[in-house]
Amino acid sequence: MAESISRRRFLAGAGVLAAGGGALVAGCAEGRSPAGARQPGFVAFHGRHQTGIAVQPSPAQGLMASFTVLARDRAELAGMFRDLTDEIAGLMSGRPLEVRDPAYPPVDSGILGPEPAPDDLSVVVSVGASLFDDRHGLAARRPRELVEMPFLANDRLDPDRSHGDLLLTVQAGHADSVIFALRQLMRRTRRTLTLRWVIDGYNRPSAPGGRGTGSPRNLLGFLDGTANLATDPTLLARHVWVSPADDEPAWTAGGSYHAVRIIRMLVEFWDRAPLAEQEAIMGRHKASGAPLGAEHETDVPDFASDPEGAVTPLDAHIRLANPRTRATDRNLILRRGFSYTRGYDGAGQLDQGLAFVSYQRSLEHGFLAVQKRLTGEPLEEYIRPEGGGFFFALPGVPSRGGHLAEGLLA
Amino acid sequence: MRRAFLIVLLAAVPLALAAGCGDDGADAPATGTSATGPSPDDALVRAAVAGYQEYVAEQTDQIVARTTVFTDAVRAGRLAAARAAYAPSREPWERIEPIAGLIEASDGAVDSRVDAFAGPDDPDFTGWHRLEYILWEQGTTAGAARFASRLDRDLAALRAGVSQLEIPPAAMALGASELIQEVSAGKITGEEDRYSKTDLWDFAANVEGAEKIIELLDPALQKADPELLARIESGFDDLDASLEALEEGDGYVLFCQENDEYPAPDLCPRTTVTQARIDTMKGQLAGLSEDLALVPGVLGLS
Repeated sequence: MAESISRRRFLAGAGVLAAGGGALVAGCAEGRSPAGARQPGFVAFHGRHQTGIAVQPSPAQGLMASFTVLARDRAELAGMFRDLTDEIAGLMSGRPLEVRDPAYPPVDSGILGPEPAPDDLSVVVSVGASLFDDRHGLAARRPRELVEMPFLANDRLDPDRSHGDLLLTVQAGHADSVIFALRQLMRRTRRTLTLRWVIDGYNRPSAPGGRGTGSPRNLLGFLDGTANLATDPTLLARHVWVSPADDEPAWTAGGSYHAVRIIRMLVEFWDRAPLAEQEAIMGRHKASGAPLGAEHETDVPDFASDPEGAVTPLDAHIRLANPRTRATDRNLILRRGFSYTRGYDGAGQLDQGLAFVSYQRSLEHGFLAVQKRLTGEPLEEYIRPEGGGFFFALPGVPSRGGHLAEGLLA
Repeated sequence: MRRAFLIVLLAAVPLALAAGCGDDGADAPATGTSATGPSPDDALVRAAVAGYQEYVAEQTDQIVARTTVFTDAVRAGRLAAARAAYAPSREPWERIEPIAGLIEASDGAVDSRVDAFAGPDDPDFTGWHRLEYILWEQGTTAGAARFASRLDRDLAALRAGVSQLEIPPAAMALGASELIQEVSAGKITGEEDRYSKTDLWDFAANVEGAEKIIELLDPALQKADPELLARIESGFDDLDASLEALEEGDGYVLFCQENDEYPAPDLCPRTTVTQARIDTMKGQLAGLSEDLALVPGVLGLS
């Protein structure tokens, strides 16, 4: 596999993130104000799957932090996952913080005040291929398709910003909630986890100029997420969650392969391209988000009756990413990325792009299949994958008393 | 790099823990560490502080004695001897750094790094690191004599100040945590001794100074929170094992990292401290820091 994919690369362009939809996760404490506006709530922690993976709506702020695991043996590793579980469950449910005698340092940074308000906070814990090396004797339990993300054709992967033993994905309505959670989680695990890389960003849920779907716009200016896997549990079961029937170690059931790609967008170059070219490259109208030749964002493109690419070029991004054929149906993935911006480069250009995230039942039939189709697309000129990694999002913790990775370490 | 020292604690010490402190949390969801142990008046704490006062005096004498060997070599123009005496002269300083920092202005004059100045030629850039810059980066003792004599004078003033200093118990207790944080923030990056690459001497001395504090507080901690004490001791054991692996001759290997932010090809033809080793030590330092930060609370010192 590595050989064939090493010549390819992937883009995360148009079409990220399931739009709107109803609340997926049972127990998500979502309320509505008298005026009908959605109020922030607590996301239930317990479940067969980690609830943050598919919770809707996707929160406005996101962060991924990759760590090197320092635990020296299985016992320390299990202790680390127990600590993470306890801290995440507490953070997600708004557990009151301990108040200590003032002679002690406070147990939290205090940046959210004495009683952190509900803010749709969720945390997802994923593990990288390197956790299954010889350190903890887990080699035989490695998810079958989990390898270190190969260097793909268009990639300029920075090793300092790629891969990792463990990845935390934190999402919430506001940036301070995200930072608070990260700091608390790190404080709890300072002996066993050390940072490798961090990226954060935003995902404005209702994009300016959009009509109703709430799809965010990416930094290329296009609506992104229109054709994402929605919240239908049947679809998620088919495309996202590893099933007990899959040819995988038993502990993986309920988890999901987790691909992360830090894709720099060369926005200066892109912004100088004619609108017609931009739209032909993406396969959508920029303003409305509608597929070329259609009127509304949610209109389904009819590629079958456009075999020559007269309306939508054959190499347009949305056409390659999702050809909407029966054969490619199994390649659907759940995208949960966010836009990032992190200063500027040596040439004085803004360093920004998409922190692409996809969850899928199989990397081979999900991310890698899509990436293979996108290889050589015209959009490649305007993007540059610089980091990320392949991870496996652990199965959820069904009930109190259990902890993340319990099956992996059993 | 500026350090966060403990000057504020001087003012805070007379405020012995009010009786209500541990009791008024009735409506707070407190769990665990809310009770306090002994107070600053506790005989065990008093004995520890007295022992520490003695230790600090010894180390201060050592600073002056060892630094004189260093500065004499600089003034005599003996480059190799000066270089050899540099790291040892810093060890006693690094052992008691948070306390030495209580003496106003001494830290800035003797231990500032070049980052605090517009450039290495800034006349206010004095102390060990100015000399380090001249001896290694410029490869000479020329122009170094006046900085050597200035260092001697500043350290003499430090010794005079320390002899007058009554060490606040809280400053001692927090000092252990400060020393380890000093290592986590500055030593592990290689920025402290960027020209000489002798960071591990400072690193080890910071750890020794912190261990000394816990050793002196051992009886008090044994009484107040033996579980915390055991965690701290095992944290020191882990860190000591990491340092032991980096010993070489009478000291340590030079601090040569992969992708060093301060490259020195002559001193560092190869990596001596791997990223994996650094990651391990980062975790050990951070974990120990979390535990050490609880010591003043456990001992009721605020």
